[in-house]
Amino acid sequence: MKVVLYAVRERKGWRARFSVAWEADAAYWGVKAARIVRVTETLPLGIAVRACDIWNERLVGIERGEWQEQRGQGQGQGGGLAQGLAEEFEKVVRTAWELAGEKREALQNARVETGERGVGLREREKVPLAGWIQVVSDLLMGRSLLREEAIELLASALPADCTIDSLALLQHAALAGALQLTAAVAPRPAPPPRHGLRGWISERLRAAPRRRRAQDLACRRCGSGKDKLRHTPCAACGRQACAYCEACLTMGRSRECGLLVIGVPRLAAQAMPIAAHQIPTKEMLSERWGLSPAQSAAASEALRFLAGQEGDAAAGIRQRESQSFLLWAVTGAGKTEMIFPLLDAVLSRGGKALVATPRRDVVLELAPRLVKAFPGRNHAVLYGGSPDRWANGALTLSTTHQLFRFQEAFDLVLIDELDAFPYHNDPMLHYAADKCRKQDGVTVLLSATPPPRLQREVARGTISCARVPVRYHRHPLPVPVRLASPSIAHLLRKQALPAKVVEALASSVRRGAQVFLFVPYVKQVDSFVQLVRSYADKLGIPAQAIAGTSSKDEERTGKVVDFRNSTTRLLITTTILERGVTIPRSDVFILDAHNPLFDASSLVQMAGRAGRSADDPFGFVYYGAPSWTDSQRNATLQIRAMNALARHKNYLLV
Amino acid sequence: MSMNFSSWFSPSRAVCPMCGNRHTQARIGIANPLKHPDPRRIIDSLCGSCRHAIPWIVYPACRICGRAERCEDCLRRKIRHYELSRCGVRYDKAMKDWLALYKYRGHEGVENVLAAMLAFAFERLGEATKLTFHGITAVPLAPERLRERNFNQAERLAQRLSEWYGLSYSPMLLRLRHTEKQSLKTRRSRVTDMRGNFAADPAVLFSERASPHRIIIVDDVYTTGSTLDECARILKQAMPNRAEVYGLLWARS
Repeated sequence: MKVVLYAVRERKGWRARFSVAWEADAAYWGVKAARIVRVTETLPLGIAVRACDIWNERLVGIERGEWQEQRGQGQGQGGGLAQGLAEEFEKVVRTAWELAGEKREALQNARVETGERGVGLREREKVPLAGWIQVVSDLLMGRSLLREEAIELLASALPADCTIDSLALLQHAALAGALQLTAAVAPRPAPPPRHGLRGWISERLRAAPRRRRAQDLACRRCGSGKDKLRHTPCAACGRQACAYCEACLTMGRSRECGLLVIGVPRLAAQAMPIAAHQIPTKEMLSERWGLSPAQSAAASEALRFLAGQEGDAAAGIRQRESQSFLLWAVTGAGKTEMIFPLLDAVLSRGGKALVATPRRDVVLELAPRLVKAFPGRNHAVLYGGSPDRWANGALTLSTTHQLFRFQEAFDLVLIDELDAFPYHNDPMLHYAADKCRKQDGVTVLLSATPPPRLQREVARGTISCARVPVRYHRHPLPVPVRLASPSIAHLLRKQALPAKVVEALASSVRRGAQVFLFVPYVKQVDSFVQLVRSYADKLGIPAQAIAGTSSKDEERTGKVVDFRNSTTRLLITTTILERGVTIPRSDVFILDAHNPLFDASSLVQMAGRAGRSADDPFGFVYYGAPSWTDSQRNATLQIRAMNALARHKNYLLV
Repeated sequence: MSMNFSSWFSPSRAVCPMCGNRHTQARIGIANPLKHPDPRRIIDSLCGSCRHAIPWIVYPACRICGRAERCEDCLRRKIRHYELSRCGVRYDKAMKDWLALYKYRGHEGVENVLAAMLAFAFERLGEATKLTFHGITAVPLAPERLRERNFNQAERLAQRLSEWYGLSYSPMLLRLRHTEKQSLKTRRSRVTDMRGNFAADPAVLFSERASPHRIIIVDDVYTTGSTLDECARILKQAMPNRAEVYGLLWARS
């Protein structure tokens, strides 16, 4: 879109601004009888944002007294202040075009008009306007929305008697300081000033005159840098190389001339901090939420972190330094139950909390449980195509991609399954998760298998962490057994299973367990089902009781149901079922465990499918592979270490 | 620097411009029907599964509109303003997704691929007519729609084609009205609604340059051909000398 660029005389000097609805600015400054100078031609938003930055950077110079004399010269030559400012504007806009990497010719007929006074608002109109600004800022608080999204939100939420145009309303709200308007793709903001020697050096370097260099553009919604941006000619702003972000395209197109509306949170809305003596004790936690000793110990540590303290009682409590907390709970530890006290602590103090999970079906499954646990609170359940799209809730449950639409909105951000797709190796989603937290808010990461980087941070002590080393039924995790076996490709070629594998499968079937058999590739599933079916007699089950599924399988849900009610006894699957599936009495076989697709965390997750219920806590886990790799060794070590920790802390029943 | 030595010696993996997956270039086994080296290279850069998904119209069953099946429309139509048209691909589910990715989601990175598919239609048109063409233009968008979408997909494809095959592109038409989506209407209302939607751009048509008399009109999808026919009618009316209009479409539904 194109916007109006203008400058207003303020106390410190002339400050440049841009407007998406000029009538709003004319009215606003007209009331204040401020002096305005504006460029008559509308400019592409991307250029206007750069021009404002360049101009206002000089304001800093004025404060230091460096720029005063330059301005004086301008006045002297051109005759009159207006002329001097007009020249300044020309210069700034031209620099902005140059920095954007486009030709100067485009500027030819940009003229600067001075002395314009706004018409001013009549008193009658002023009063309702203030009310509407309040409504708009409440609606958009903590949001980060593209222009179309913001207008859609306003259209759906504003009462019908609001006759003011949405764009003008946004501009009014921005002038009142209730929200920020900016370009969705803009130069990356400068890093915060540094202290000490480095700060002094960079300060000196900045002061030294130097050629201005083009700053790198970045998407302000997903944080992607220039490698994800594509420059194309744009009919909306008329530029030849207007950038758009390809990384977050699924959430609507964020581009250089596209408006981004950011709801600045007001100070009054902050939650009351939790005082240390208000933290519920372990006994209170287990009584109210039905937590096991290990769960309540971890939950109370997390609560202490929320209250602004870290470190355990033994090592000495200190003020918290970072804002992330890792809740490292083994598979089947009952993570969902543990988040309830955390949510309660934030919600009961008027704060806003977010639970983000990677998958939509988890959102839908968790929503009724949260509603039941926190009745009487506003809930918003967000996923692609959700009816709550623009709802403002104290408790928000969302898929990860919806996080892009928030900025500084939540006091507590809970991220479930941090190591799973789509978080894993996606810097964009990590940026979004950071961005949607309030500046003094807390992020709690939940995982059974934190990625290696995070594990190193835990070992180094740079991130606070509470471990839940035992399952809710207080039995140790099944430790994987090594089963030397040729690779699947070899087995399929020979059309034979090794006797050791058949024997282990048969003994699992004999003890009445459901058998998960994991293979690395989708294409191996069908042929392997055929192969295992030819052994049905030896296993002692009918051939129909052996089935296979994968991410490409459309009847997957049905097959999992069959497996759950024991119609299917042996299910051959890929990593698609490595998480979130709980089958009461089950054993796990992983073939080709040496395959690089199975990293340590996915091996731990798959092993975590065994022995999850209290009725049958001792499942069996087998890693079948021709070689014993690092990932298998690490997975086994992780499981053993958790069991040892549980034993040490006396969490185990036996 | 990668610490993984084996990766230094493995075949280089390119990113498929359509689906974004990394793949090794599959040259063997999948035919590439294009002749011009530039679009040919673009089709080569696709991954195997994307290349398999393209339903090329290699042998059009309808000699007029270039449809792959027997075509009732062209038999039924009494007056036709364009000579003939050719289409690159059948408009199936996958192609619908590809076009939506480009047109509605605005992923302009796939523009090249769609243009290369249109280039295939152009090569078929050249084969069918054995003629040289004097000009190429595109079906215009209404100004408000253009601002909303930021680009006119037909214009972009036509410009890309004109660069490859040395045709002279110029916008010759204007869109006067903003109509509802074509896909939501019945056949009859499509034809009647189309009247008065377009006008010839006087600046281009009546310039001192001899107006070209064999013109190609580019559009993305051919459903009933009413848009193409109306554009052809307007162009022929506006041309002082007898003009011939040919249609070039990315997909035929």
